[in-house]
Amino acid sequence: MAGIRLHVISPLVLVAVGKCARDPSVFVRKCAANALPKLHELRQEEITSAIEEIVGILLNDRSPGVVGAAAAAFASICPNNFTLIGRNYRNLCQILPDVEEWGQILLIEILLRYVVASHGLVKESIMSSLLCIESSHSEKDVFDVNVALEDNGIPSRTYDSELVNLVSRSYIEGLGEYLTRSSDTNARSSDLNGARFTSGKTNDDVKLLLQCTSPLLWSHNSAVVLAAAGVHWIMSPKEDVKRIVKPLLFILRSSGASKYVVLCNIQVFAKALPHLFVPHYEDFFVSSSDSYQSKALKLEILSSIVTESSISSVFKEFQDYIRDPDRRFAADTVAAIGLCARKLPKMANTCVEGLLALIRQELLTSDIESGNGEADVLIQSIISIKSIIKQDPSCHEKVIIQLFRSLDSIKVPEARVMIIWMVGEYSSVGVKIPRMLTTVLKYLAWCFKSEAVETKLQILNTTIKVLLCAKGGDMWTITRLFSYLLELAECDLNYDVRDRARFFKKLFSHNLCSQVPEETNALQENKDLPLVLVECIFRKQENLAASEPINDRFYLPGSLSQIVLHAAPGYEPLPKPCSSLCDDLGQFSNSIDRTTALGEEWTGSSSNGTDDPDTSGSLDEESGSNYDSQQSIPGLSDNSGTGDSASEGDRNCDPLIQISDAGIACSNENGASHSGFPDLEGMMSKRALESWLDEQPGSSSPSASEQIQVRQSSARISIGNIGRQVKAKSYTLLDPANGNGLKVYYSFSSEASTISPQLVCLETFFENCSSETMSEVTLVDEESHKALDLADLTLATTAR
Amino acid sequence: MLQCIFLLADNGAVILEKQLTGHRVDRSICDWFWDHVISQGDSFKSMPVIASPTHYIFQIVRAGITFLACTQVEMPPLMGIEFLCRVADILSDYLGELNEDLIKDNFVIVYELLDEMIDNGFPLTTEPNILREMIAPPNIVSKMLSVVTGNSSNVSDILPGATASCVPWRPTDVKYANNEVYVDLVEEMDAIINRDGVLVKCEIYGEVQVNCLLSGLPDLTLSFANPSILHDVRFHPCVRFRPWESHQILSFVPPDGQFKLMSYRVKKLKSTPIYVKPQLTSDAGTCRISVMVGIRNDPGKTIDSIILQFQLPPCILSADLTSNHGTVNVLSNKICTWSIGRIPKDKAPSLSGTMVLETGLETLRVFPTFQVEFRIMGVALSGLQIDKLDLQNVPNRLYKGFRAVTRAGEYEVRS
Repeated sequence: MAGIRLHVISPLVLVAVGKCARDPSVFVRKCAANALPKLHELRQEEITSAIEEIVGILLNDRSPGVVGAAAAAFASICPNNFTLIGRNYRNLCQILPDVEEWGQILLIEILLRYVVASHGLVKESIMSSLLCIESSHSEKDVFDVNVALEDNGIPSRTYDSELVNLVSRSYIEGLGEYLTRSSDTNARSSDLNGARFTSGKTNDDVKLLLQCTSPLLWSHNSAVVLAAAGVHWIMSPKEDVKRIVKPLLFILRSSGASKYVVLCNIQVFAKALPHLFVPHYEDFFVSSSDSYQSKALKLEILSSIVTESSISSVFKEFQDYIRDPDRRFAADTVAAIGLCARKLPKMANTCVEGLLALIRQELLTSDIESGNGEADVLIQSIISIKSIIKQDPSCHEKVIIQLFRSLDSIKVPEARVMIIWMVGEYSSVGVKIPRMLTTVLKYLAWCFKSEAVETKLQILNTTIKVLLCAKGGDMWTITRLFSYLLELAECDLNYDVRDRARFFKKLFSHNLCSQVPEETNALQENKDLPLVLVECIFRKQENLAASEPINDRFYLPGSLSQIVLHAAPGYEPLPKPCSSLCDDLGQFSNSIDRTTALGEEWTGSSSNGTDDPDTSGSLDEESGSNYDSQQSIPGLSDNSGTGDSASEGDRNCDPLIQISDAGIACSNENGASHSGFPDLEGMMSKRALESWLDEQPGSSSPSASEQIQVRQSSARISIGNIGRQVKAKSYTLLDPANGNGLKVYYSFSSEASTISPQLVCLETFFENCSSETMSEVTLVDEESHKALDLADLTLATTAR
Repeated sequence: MLQCIFLLADNGAVILEKQLTGHRVDRSICDWFWDHVISQGDSFKSMPVIASPTHYIFQIVRAGITFLACTQVEMPPLMGIEFLCRVADILSDYLGELNEDLIKDNFVIVYELLDEMIDNGFPLTTEPNILREMIAPPNIVSKMLSVVTGNSSNVSDILPGATASCVPWRPTDVKYANNEVYVDLVEEMDAIINRDGVLVKCEIYGEVQVNCLLSGLPDLTLSFANPSILHDVRFHPCVRFRPWESHQILSFVPPDGQFKLMSYRVKKLKSTPIYVKPQLTSDAGTCRISVMVGIRNDPGKTIDSIILQFQLPPCILSADLTSNHGTVNVLSNKICTWSIGRIPKDKAPSLSGTMVLETGLETLRVFPTFQVEFRIMGVALSGLQIDKLDLQNVPNRLYKGFRAVTRAGEYEVRS
């Protein structure tokens, strides 16, 4: 009956369901529970409370079958109504092992949320330990907790503390809030740390939950196992967390599809607490029947849990993987070797040896065009070596020299670029390298003409770097070489190279002519603006450490959002500890006021949150620190992969030219561009909304097409009812490297649309990173083919 | 919750569509999916969770049929995947095997099954024994009847008794003339042997399968002689956890008929029953291959249906392979299969041949991995032994049977 979905009869159905919920037959009650979500979907305000009442009755049932169905109803109807759970908590826990498997999955999650909401986190668990440590600075009363932690004497501090902190926070607060908060000052963090912790040893409710979920780790339904493991991960004391390891590894053996999901979860666990999985590294050895995604995940896990005792056997495995026919996988393996070596500096030498051997071997055969795969492996191995060297350049002098020597035989442009980059970067390392420099540069100048574009750009950069730190007799040769290179570059076919050359020539015009007659003295005197600029552009890169990729999964273990890496509609982080109002003990009564006030504060901040990220971003740029993310990543980080390193030259180029316009103009321009931004956004999103009004809510895929460039890129944007979710994550639609300077990114704003609840606000940000004026930027809606006609919107950015 | 289930044939056509909630999922999602499969190749097909523009899609592939489930909201992804696996298992159980024609022939049954298995996006009854009671499996008689009478429903009118009982997996009134219990140990050996011939990893994944034909409501107790070797275990819902925690005894009220009682894993085994020694040497554009297979540790029973399978690397143009025992087949997608069967007493089987490399390639630098299959009847290689099977209130005539079989699982030899 409930399946008919007619609004008219819903009150009748409700009465019937209510009657059935008190029926003596188990099966009838179960069906009643199943009917409730269908009734609820009709969204009739007046019957909601009645439905919730029936859910409460059904949750109180003695029969496991009914409770399972009631849990499903609860999860879809009123997932935050913890009073219903509080009444039956003990009963629910006891009945949990007997509930049918699908009900178990949901019931586990409900119970977890309830416990967190009513009792807070467990102070012995990993989730809380870091919050405590931080708070001990500000609040004295939590200090004893901290001491208790130390007393436990667990293999402490073996984990990446910062990461755990991040993960645990984002479980509770959700990613969006975390980001807005971190852009804020730490003012609020002490408030959060004031949240109550409870002890797993003394609190019966927590103990009961852990007790009842532990047999579920043996369930033959992998979803149940993962859900139970999630509870233990969050709630159980640190020394007991290892209980989840074996069951998790065992469900890897089930089907290929679930293997991937489980691996995704293990990856997070292993990153936060590597020591859990250290003894089980063999389970992550790749078998040929794994899908490519699983293989890549396994490699990542292996490289994060590797220790000195296991490294030798892991490396042996890696050697086998390198010979795998799937070259993409082989390239990943090489990257993993690099990661391992960075993790265990003692092994770095062995790794580098192995990688060099690999490069030599590749060189033997890569003369022939044997497909992209081989080139990938080569590039990846050089990236790995580069990252190893970066840790300690001075002890790897020989390796650097060997790479220079092999420059002649390496043909792949990306690989050449990286080696040339190293020439510039480590030009002053050690004893032998400075002596080699002139020879290397001569060689580079000799083969300049036949290089690819990116290599040419990199050669120019490198020469400047060398020039800046050159001393004595070499100076003259290098200056000569440099001017020769500039002449060559100015006649190049590619306009990027020509631009670069002209720019350098302007910068150095002063230097070049003055330096030839009077050498070092002139350099001292002529340290005028351009030279200082060049110095800080090129020399500073050394200090910038590649930041760890924060592409970790911040969502609750076992959730969909964790797999797809963004908050799926309906995803909710754990409730705030102790936020539940149903504390029957009443001992937290004064904390309640505080938490509710806190909640309001949060909502306040989240509404601000939408414009937060971009204003802070623009602040960064205005302050003139142009080597933030954009410039530092391409040169140094190896995570950005081969594609990025290829475009290294281009990207380096862009901010450079901006500066070259000299101090005042530059800051003016930035200021103008950013003041123009908010209006623009407002207009854009309004436009977008208007155009979507006519369509079905559901899907639309706008694409930004520029008429200046021929390039066109489109991205698909999924739209559901995301209204309540705060998300500050932005997606790049077009990055400046591809779009010739136009950077377009978009993000979903958190506020609900004022026009219709079914619509979603989408904010698109345009940024001009190039030197040229951009006009006629249009935003076209692909599905309706209605051009939004923003052609008149000549960007304020480009008023120059 | 799940909103829709699609079954796709291997050419992308929608075989079956089942809407589960009021929010209809448009069929165009399948087109979107298939476009991506075509453009991105197999790596897309092996993604179990996909975020499409409008929905999240869970997919599994079984026997060439793609099972898709769509949702728009957050839910545990393993729940979706696990459910699809159950659907696939049950369909293949009902239809004998799984292929497009069979599903089309039995549309009615498939829809009835899905109706019972999932309601409003939430899994309902997935226990195969109960389903069997509710929906009769297809057979010739029922087909004849439906043709003659025109009544095409296979759903039984009476509600299965188990749904209301406290043991939801067992029908209440089962009667057998002969009471029989069969316990099978089915083990699969996973092993990785690396390039140097060293055994890197060797473990057994085993299942205890029980075929239970007992009257009434029996209560069984199964104990092992050496439960300490078990590394991990997983149980059927019918197993009580307490006795296992305290005494490592399996105590359970079994479902009726065939079911999987538990699965287990035994790690760190020291030896494998057979050896495979591949040798590849390459020089001047040709590559010589020779593979030897033999018995290393005689398990006491015959090892049969030995099959060696490997994928030739893409850089190999042609291969000419011969063997002194068994047959060799090279398929068009460069998968080479050497079926040996049993190893003869007098000679060791070997495969040899030459392969021509791509022009310009002097030596072979990527090497294939050999997958080995075999079967040994009557032996559980993990060494697990069943101690005894006890039955409370023993009926008059009781027959208990035990069997064991070991197969190769992911048994790989790298070269």
